[in-house]
Amino acid sequence: MLNKNAFKVGLFVVITTFLVVMTIGFMVYKKGVFEKVYTYTLSSKSGENLTLGMPVVFSGFTIGKVDVLELNEEGVVLITIKVPKRHIKWIRSNSVFSLDKPLIGAPKITVITENLNSPPLSPEAIVEIGTANDINEIIKRVNPILEMVNRIAANIETISVNLANPRGDVNKILRNAEKLTSNLSGKPSLLDMAVDDRESINALYSAMKSTKVITSQIEDTLKKVDAMAVKTDEKVYGREGSLSLVNNILKDLIIKLQNLDATLANVNTISKDAADSTKDFKLLREEIDGTIYSIKELVKKVDDLVPFKKEPDIKLP
Amino acid sequence: MKILVEHIGLSFLHTTQSLKETLLFAFKVVSRILDKNAYNSAVRMVLTDQIYFTSVQILPLFLTVAAIFGSVLVVILMLMVKELGMVQYIGRFMIGFMVNELSPFITVLLIALRSSAAINTEIAVMKVNQEIKTLEVFHIDTINYLFLPRIINGVISVVLMNCLFSIVVLATGLLFSKLIFGMSFNLYADVLLNSIYFSDLLILLLKCITYGVFITLIPILYGLRATNELTSIPVSVLNGMVKVFIAIVIIEVLSLIIKLM
Repeated sequence: MLNKNAFKVGLFVVITTFLVVMTIGFMVYKKGVFEKVYTYTLSSKSGENLTLGMPVVFSGFTIGKVDVLELNEEGVVLITIKVPKRHIKWIRSNSVFSLDKPLIGAPKITVITENLNSPPLSPEAIVEIGTANDINEIIKRVNPILEMVNRIAANIETISVNLANPRGDVNKILRNAEKLTSNLSGKPSLLDMAVDDRESINALYSAMKSTKVITSQIEDTLKKVDAMAVKTDEKVYGREGSLSLVNNILKDLIIKLQNLDATLANVNTISKDAADSTKDFKLLREEIDGTIYSIKELVKKVDDLVPFKKEPDIKLP
Repeated sequence: MKILVEHIGLSFLHTTQSLKETLLFAFKVVSRILDKNAYNSAVRMVLTDQIYFTSVQILPLFLTVAAIFGSVLVVILMLMVKELGMVQYIGRFMIGFMVNELSPFITVLLIALRSSAAINTEIAVMKVNQEIKTLEVFHIDTINYLFLPRIINGVISVVLMNCLFSIVVLATGLLFSKLIFGMSFNLYADVLLNSIYFSDLLILLLKCITYGVFITLIPILYGLRATNELTSIPVSVLNGMVKVFIAIVIIEVLSLIIKLM
């Protein structure tokens, strides 16, 4: 019994201790306890919200923590952060550090690196830290809304005060409305309520009757004008109307113009031929001139040959 | 009025005396724990038995309770975290609340309910039956033979059982984080690791050791206060258990104060 218990106890202790050691070992390995750590220095004008051990976050993951906080001779807060070797690839020369103060949760330092191919940040460099304050941002946004709500509340208060006041505008309107409805119920018509003078009402009635007569006369005139318009329409647009006649004339004119076009083309051709012929006349003239000249030369030669003939007579063809 | 003031004064003196006795007894036992001559084969045998009865025997029930209770709490916590949109803080909730606070508290409650009551009754019965006096007559050191193994067992059991409870809770957390948030093992491990601090683990270990010491030491002390009458046994168990629960609350509060400092 004792040995059996001792074995079970031994097994329990060994297994549990093994599990605990494994868990702690995994944790130590994953947290990089024995890993080389790099140090960077940041600066801030204020040490407000900065605490030792504060996480340094990149894309939502903790890559380091604040190790030292100190105030230098110029009154600037120097923040030393420690980043394990496996995370230094996220910190480059163009990385932007900002102190993030969320509405819920602890403040943290956020790293934003636009270009991961930039050269790594030198451990000697001192980078100034920006501030992103969620609470102040929200207060800034909420303030105009609160002012608006205040104005609305003031207006509502004014209205409610006016309502409560028996001499207020709203009550005055209500009293007038009441008077109006009581007047309306006592008078035979709306006109009687609006105008209290009987003579004016009669004048208005007679004017309205005259208007009725005038309206009927205008109606008659309009009917006549309408009939005239119908007739004019027939004369102009009817089958025998002037518009169809004009159409026919225009069609005829188009045909004639087409014929005239052909005639003009012929005339053009003739004049061209005549121009060509004129060129031939010139050549003929030159040829005739040449022939006459030749004959002239011939006659001269004949005259030279036949000296006995006094009067040489040569008949031209 | 005078009687009331007298009553308050007596109560204060009684509490102070009781606290002094407890601390003196604790000091005596702890000094004996550090003395290597105190450990002989008889002590080792009793220690083995005590660990068996306190930890090994209860293990299946304890693991089942840890799995059920842990799962329910983890699901409630994760759904709440999801509803509040605070998924990024799930690691802090799991480690800070479940592992550092709830896990040792439930572990110590389960062990105290079972073992502290048993130790208190056992010592009280031994006192009533004059067994302790008999041991002393035979020059057997009661502190070494009776108390030392029980107190060491308390420390070992609370520390190991708390580790098991935490591992079970974290394992159920892995399962439910996968189901509720679709988290992978690596992401879950990263989230947890970012929330674990060695200082917190050290406080947790110290808290468990303190729990282990006091949930066995107080029942032994109250068991020894039993008289020679059988009716004093339930009274001593009742008083002892009440003090054990008060001690658990005080230790929890002290640990929180230390953590906040």
